[in-house]
Amino acid sequence: MKVTELTKQYDGKTVVDSVSFEIPKGKVLSLIGPNGAGKSTVMGIISRLIARDAGLVDFEGQDISRWKSKELSKRLAILTQSNQIQMKLTVRELVAFGRFPYSGGRITAEDEAIIDQAITYMELDEMQDRFIDELSGGQRQRAMIAMVIAQDTEFVLLDEPTNNLDIYHATNMMKIVRRLCDELGKTVILVLHEINYAAFYSDYICAFADGKIAKFGTVKEVMTRQTLSQIYKVDFEIMEIEGKPLSIYY
Amino acid sequence: MRTAAHRANARKLILMAALVLLAAAAYLLVEVNPKYFSYAMSLRIPKLIVMLIAAFSIGGASIVFQSIINNTIVTPCLLGMNSLYTLIHTAVVFVAGSGSILAANANVSFAVDLVIMGVAATLIYGYLFQKTNHNVLYVLLIGTVLTSFFGSIQSTLTRVMDPNEYDTLLTTLVASFSNVNSEIILFSLAVLAVLIFALRRDLALLDVLTLGKAQATNLGVDYDRSIRRLLLGVTLAIAVATAMVGPISFMGLIIANLSRQLLKTYRHSQLILGSVFFGMIILVAGQLIVEHVYSYAIPISVFITVGGGIYFLYLLLTKRRV
Ligand SMILES: Nc1ncnc2c1ncn2[C@@H]1O[C@H](COP(=O)(O)OP(=O)(O)OP(=O)(O)O)[C@@H](O)[C@H]1O
Ligand SMILES: [Mg+2]
Repeated sequence: MKVTELTKQYDGKTVVDSVSFEIPKGKVLSLIGPNGAGKSTVMGIISRLIARDAGLVDFEGQDISRWKSKELSKRLAILTQSNQIQMKLTVRELVAFGRFPYSGGRITAEDEAIIDQAITYMELDEMQDRFIDELSGGQRQRAMIAMVIAQDTEFVLLDEPTNNLDIYHATNMMKIVRRLCDELGKTVILVLHEINYAAFYSDYICAFADGKIAKFGTVKEVMTRQTLSQIYKVDFEIMEIEGKPLSIYY
Repeated sequence: MRTAAHRANARKLILMAALVLLAAAAYLLVEVNPKYFSYAMSLRIPKLIVMLIAAFSIGGASIVFQSIINNTIVTPCLLGMNSLYTLIHTAVVFVAGSGSILAANANVSFAVDLVIMGVAATLIYGYLFQKTNHNVLYVLLIGTVLTSFFGSIQSTLTRVMDPNEYDTLLTTLVASFSNVNSEIILFSLAVLAVLIFALRRDLALLDVLTLGKAQATNLGVDYDRSIRRLLLGVTLAIAVATAMVGPISFMGLIIANLSRQLLKTYRHSQLILGSVFFGMIILVAGQLIVEHVYSYAIPISVFITVGGGIYFLYLLLTKRRV
């Protein structure tokens, strides 16, 4: 997937400013950056949820807007940053919606197996028959992620998947991201605020600031004292653990 | 997935269907004089059919409307279509006179209602929905404004109208179940059948649509298009019910919520059936009581308004915690 000169304005204010980058296939790419930097907007545009004002989003040789929405939903799945669902829906029923692009409303035995697997991935087996409006924020977030996993697409976009999750489940989430990429060959694009998760679990990092790309590169290239302090305007120290750069900020 | 909850709901719905049949049988047969059996039937059967059609339209339209607005304490009467109905009829009598074919022929007058209400709803709400990103507050606000707008034009017209014309007009405006419009049964059935056929794909998408625009789009559904089509369907279904029995779509709030409370599911196939059955039971049993216990002293719309009002308060108070 290749993004060229992407631009988006809200009420005359440019929130995404001619952003260009290429998403490496079969890798994990993390988007980082301060609040309001435009990360979610970029995610929304490349997944056809948000209309752009200018620029191209090339997905597998064709612009994203020319894809049939239905076809696209079998190739690309997105978890948005905020999700309010008001229906009386159990966890399992929610996850089953991930199969909608393939089976419509009729779930097959094969779908059931994929749903089971997604539920087990997110460790939701015990609560699969509970209503989602009766879950905690983190539990609901995990159910939403399980739905995206059940959609079983080559491209998986997750906007702040670790939002609301405790350290155990957030780490588990990141390990799952790695497995989706390493074992199943998927391309995963995430928005993360925990820089160290981005550093430890992704292949590439794209740092946003003020609607522009401040730095795009491998983890080592982006995780430098200079780049990070410039983007976040906070003091950073970089350490190395298991051969990976980790940051301390204060 | 055929879960236990799904089967339990199927049983509840079968029970409700049985209750509907029971109420219908009671309505037809209670205190019928065997000597005048066929005469009694010729009066009661059309009324029963009208009630069933009205319950079907209102029950279905209310669930669909709540789901596309993503709010369970709204009813389609907030769209302002009831006052548009009143205005159309007043304007027709005012301009063409009560003797004209537009007013005197029930089917022609029904066709006029459908066309005007359908066009108005598509223009106003189709446009508005896109402009405001499906913001429910704007829809409700515009609905309220339209209601008083149509209402004041209508009352201006009635003030300058010939009093005799006004008299004839009133009987069509305050239609009740004791005064149903049975001439348009066939026309209504045809409209509803066409509506369901034309919207069958969108109706099947309802479960996904209620996940919200982002999720529905992610799952490959053309959200805006389906919402627009369903909204038009809701308006036409309400137009059918209003033309048959007058403005009582407030009932939709009650039956839709009863159905949601009883079935506790997201499946619209079941929710709609539940709402329709509740509507049928309430209308038919209510009318039975009105006719035989109160001997027509209190029209059923009074019960529905009072009961609905209390239920509405209850919903508001219990939903606060969300
Ligand atoms: N629907 C909208 N209408 C107007 N402005 C918007 C809208 N959505 C986003 N913005 C603005 O666009 C800018 C970028 O928003 P975006 O959600 O992409 O930020 P983000 O990088 O995801 O931030 P966060 O880390 O807080 O999620 C912000 O300044 C925001 O106020
Ligand atoms: Mg964001």
